Amino acid sequence: MSPPIGSAAPRETSRETMARARARAALIPDLLVEARKVASNVFAGWHGRRKRGIGEDFWQFRPYVPGENMAAIDWRRSARDDHVYVRDREWQAAHMVWLWVDESPSMLFKSQTARVPKQSRSLVVAFALAELLARSGERLGWLGVSRPITSRHAAERLGEALIAMPPQTRFPAGTEVRNHSDVVLVSDFLQPLDEIADRIRSMARNGARGHLVQVVDPAEEDFPYAGRVEFTDPETGERLTAGNAQALKTGYGALFSQHIEEVRALARSFSWSHTLHHTDKLASQALASLHVHMTQGRGTR
Amino acid sequence: MLGLPLAFATPMILTALVLLPVIWWLLRLTPPRPQTELFPPLAILARLVRKEETPAKSPWWLTLLRLLMAALVILAMAGPVLNPRAAKLAGEGPVAIVLDNGWASAPDWEDRRDAALALVGEAETASRTVAFVETAGLDPSAMQPMDAAAARAILSGMEPKPLKPDHAAAAGALSRLISETSPGSVFLLSDGLSRTGTDSLAAAMANAGGQRSVIAARTDRIVALDTVRNDPDAMTGTVLRTASPEASAVTVEAFDLKGLPLARRTVTFEPGADNAQFRLDEPVELRNQIVRISVTEMKSAGAVQLLDDRFRRRLVGLISGEAADVSQPLLAPLYYIGKALSPFGDVREASTPNLATAVPELIGQGVSALVLADVGTIPEETEKTLSDWIAKGGMLIRFAGPRLAAAGNSALLPVRLREGDRSLGGALSWESPKPVAPFERGSPFFGLEPPKEVTVQRQVLALQDFDLEAKTWAALDDGTPLVTAERREAGWIVLFHVSSDATWSNLPISGTFVDMLRRVVSQSNSTGIRGDGGTGDVRLPPLNILNGRGELMPPDVAVKPVVLRQNETPKVSIDNPPGFYGTEDGFLSLNLFEGGEKLTPLDRSIFGGGVEVSSFARDAAVDLKPWLLALAALLLVLDCLAVLWIAGSLQPANLRRPAARGAATSLVAALALALAFTANPPRAIAQDGNADFAAALTTRLAYVVTGDSAVDEISRAGLTGLTQFVAGRTALEPGEPVGLDLSTDELAFYPLIYWPISLNAPLPDAATMARVDTFMKQGGTILFDTRDQGGGVLGGTANSPEAQRLQLMLASLDIPPLEAVPSDHVLTKAFYLLTSFPGRYTGGDLWVEQSVVRNVEDATRPARAGDGVSTILITSNDLAAAWAIDSGGQAMFPTASADITQREMAFRSGVNIVMYAMTGNYKADQVHIPALLERLGQ
Repeated sequence: MSPPIGSAAPRETSRETMARARARAALIPDLLVEARKVASNVFAGWHGRRKRGIGEDFWQFRPYVPGENMAAIDWRRSARDDHVYVRDREWQAAHMVWLWVDESPSMLFKSQTARVPKQSRSLVVAFALAELLARSGERLGWLGVSRPITSRHAAERLGEALIAMPPQTRFPAGTEVRNHSDVVLVSDFLQPLDEIADRIRSMARNGARGHLVQVVDPAEEDFPYAGRVEFTDPETGERLTAGNAQALKTGYGALFSQHIEEVRALARSFSWSHTLHHTDKLASQALASLHVHMTQGRGTR
Repeated sequence: MLGLPLAFATPMILTALVLLPVIWWLLRLTPPRPQTELFPPLAILARLVRKEETPAKSPWWLTLLRLLMAALVILAMAGPVLNPRAAKLAGEGPVAIVLDNGWASAPDWEDRRDAALALVGEAETASRTVAFVETAGLDPSAMQPMDAAAARAILSGMEPKPLKPDHAAAAGALSRLISETSPGSVFLLSDGLSRTGTDSLAAAMANAGGQRSVIAARTDRIVALDTVRNDPDAMTGTVLRTASPEASAVTVEAFDLKGLPLARRTVTFEPGADNAQFRLDEPVELRNQIVRISVTEMKSAGAVQLLDDRFRRRLVGLISGEAADVSQPLLAPLYYIGKALSPFGDVREASTPNLATAVPELIGQGVSALVLADVGTIPEETEKTLSDWIAKGGMLIRFAGPRLAAAGNSALLPVRLREGDRSLGGALSWESPKPVAPFERGSPFFGLEPPKEVTVQRQVLALQDFDLEAKTWAALDDGTPLVTAERREAGWIVLFHVSSDATWSNLPISGTFVDMLRRVVSQSNSTGIRGDGGTGDVRLPPLNILNGRGELMPPDVAVKPVVLRQNETPKVSIDNPPGFYGTEDGFLSLNLFEGGEKLTPLDRSIFGGGVEVSSFARDAAVDLKPWLLALAALLLVLDCLAVLWIAGSLQPANLRRPAARGAATSLVAALALALAFTANPPRAIAQDGNADFAAALTTRLAYVVTGDSAVDEISRAGLTGLTQFVAGRTALEPGEPVGLDLSTDELAFYPLIYWPISLNAPLPDAATMARVDTFMKQGGTILFDTRDQGGGVLGGTANSPEAQRLQLMLASLDIPPLEAVPSDHVLTKAFYLLTSFPGRYTGGDLWVEQSVVRNVEDATRPARAGDGVSTILITSNDLAAAWAIDSGGQAMFPTASADITQREMAFRSGVNIVMYAMTGNYKADQVHIPALLERLGQ
């Protein structure tokens, strides 16, 4: 008997909360490190609002208007001529971004061709995004886990909060999502589509802009099974025996791409973006694609 | 079973076949386990596969395949044998076994002995006594019924005899046995050949009651060598076989006294022929060296012909013109000749000086050579007799003297003589006595050292004819002939121009005279040895005897001297087996086949009814076990393939999966298993692929793994000791010594390979020896060690078994002439100054390739500068045992002598040999350094 193609990540088998928490704790710092690496590879910084305001970066010098705060005067510039100048900074308004990663048992799946389990990859993508957002001072929250945080170290703090919480196996209700905030949902979207649509609809009704990152294991798409195979659903434990699995390949392939199309259509219906990511590809690909969607305003492409 | 000649070694195992239905049930019940896979998008898949499949049972053909596999394994374990040995002991009472143990039984002797041992074993189980009748070398006292255990002991030690089976005698012995003990079973283990007396043997068997069985061997491998004739132009011989409709070919090889091969011919039997001729037309000098001709494919005394032509003791007749004066023997003309001839010839003196009666008398005795010392005039009738005799191959040797000088020319002289003689160094002569000039190349004396001390005072002179020089065998310093000879048809006339006593010259009392006479006489035809009747028989002690497998061995005590009687040719018998008799200087050969013989296969019909006739077990029986196991393994492969196919792993896209790779690996393993059952087990020495790299990076001493573990261990320990010694004393620091499997290992990395000769080790095959040949031709050096304490590595015929083995091994190699290390050889100076090369023993010489002394200047050098390194070194001193150290660094074996420096000397010998192999003739130049430096300084 050859070893099975797909397997659950070891964390799935342990039901002990402590052990699980520890394992997550051990995993998350690694993910953070990796996320930082990935983030610095993808893009150097978060762009400002291109107008003066509260921020860290220099924007312009302008003549001092009496009545302004004296502390704002840039004495070095003012010493060069007879006027008094004030240093303006670029306005960098913090944006509200909600993150959420599906941690249901199906996300722990990893096939032989995949580099990592889906859940691991999803966390990496989410933390990398958090790292990037935190660098530009956005406010970050984790749906169902953490309230919004504004900190340079928001990613770490989100990670810590995540350790303290049980795994996020169910789709979040998204009640805390408000207008003008972004929602990033990372999942395999294998839950019943109706349920997903309900949740997304409630968030979209609150005025949030959303990004769906669908993480797919290559085995789920390519169906490399052959012969007599007994399939087990990691979520429900259901079993299904296929006598000649290779015969199902074509039919299954059509169904699965139809499923992806359905998720994409769902996102489009709320003008949310949809990013398809395979775990045999690099995490930075998903991140780059996600970045494009988040910086390009509304719309899918 | 089923009418097939099938039997099982352990039929009890067959009862396991009742388990097959159980296995069938188990196999039917257990479907092949599906591959279990986690699959998150199961819901999507479930849309495709609506209902869960019923657990499939394994397909019926797969179950059948597996059942068949199980049945095959059970059958194989039961040890089935097709055509089992039909001869089973039946009846009761003593068991009589007539065993052909003559020359023809040598090729399949083990089968024959096994068959006899099996019978004895059955007799032992049935508590029956056993009586043997050997057909060759029948010993009447050994035919009594004896205990089966005693019979087993005798049988186990029995070897084929180099004799012809005597079936008539065996029939007599069997008849007596039958009448005395009335055996319950009579077995004839025949070598497959029919002889005179086989009929009576069949008749004797017919008289026996009870079980009668004949087991006859196949005769298609039996080949015999009939008499070889040495004619003037070629040596011809006949190879015999039993008539067969198929053509076949054998190889005939000729060897000289040292066992070196001289000629080789492939002899082809025409279809239907029972004999084939071969012809050795080598140059006569080479042919004269041949003493043994054998058929390579047949190791039997019957396939060997021993020749004694060249070395046969000649009968030499002596006639003097002067009446013998018994009171002054030292002055008698024939005294010195008789003394000089006696080491290699039998001397007959004429009873009367009357030529007319003496010559026919001696010729009638069959002399090969006739010496006429100072006989002047020969009567006309006698001259005619002599001429006829010479024409038929006689050799006339004449010595000069006053009478011959006076008599003048006669027809029986090789040259025309001047009247009178010349005297040198006398009172009236100007000239001083003349020494003998070096012998010319064309002369039979060529190669002898010209005697410096010999001078000639008087001689008869030959007339300067145009062909005088061609007739001259030896000459004086001034060119006047000393010995002349002329060929007359088949014979020779040889004239010594000096007298046969010491009056004209001191040649007859010199040692060279013996050698000259030997060479002259050896030119003569050996017309046969005849006893001289009146004065008693000649007894020749055994020198080397053929054993049943056709190997020349030193005689054992049972062999008696050959007695030569008047008009009687000596016959091969149990007392006188085939071999050489006499001394090394002159001997007689006895051969099993003496011409005009035929090999007739056994006519199985003569045994009549009631006699079971069958073949030897190993000839016909087929052990089916490996085949069944191989078939089962093949089915296992099929099963693997089928399972893979069912599991879908044979899809091309899936073959790269590790799982598929694992399955493929097990498939290959199963295939290998199938092959292993049918093939012989491979050699166990595992080869590391990196060994060659390691060998190439470090200089190592190497030894040949002979397969004899004791010898190999000594070789390893010895070379370890030598390696340490060399590293300690010289700049060379070799790595760990390695053992080489000559048939597989690359030899090119090793400068010196130590090869101990072990009788227990199998002979290397031709391909291996070809590798060795290549190694030596590429400049490698092999040190052979016969380890037999100087048991005559290359000297004489009385070689030790190890030396014979070595000769056998080297027979196929291109070995240059060898010499014992001369005192000025580089080997004696390569590192230490040595005079001998001791090992554990001290007696034996170290043999190297002969180096050529080019000129006198070379000869005076302190070291001989031959080019290159001798590719072969042969010692008998067991060097490795002297070098061998254990893990604690202590010597493992004591040296053979009490000399405490011997081990040190053995190590030094080793260092010199290693240095010689590494540096070659460099040290030969080194000894000139002082002289070169001195020359440079000036």
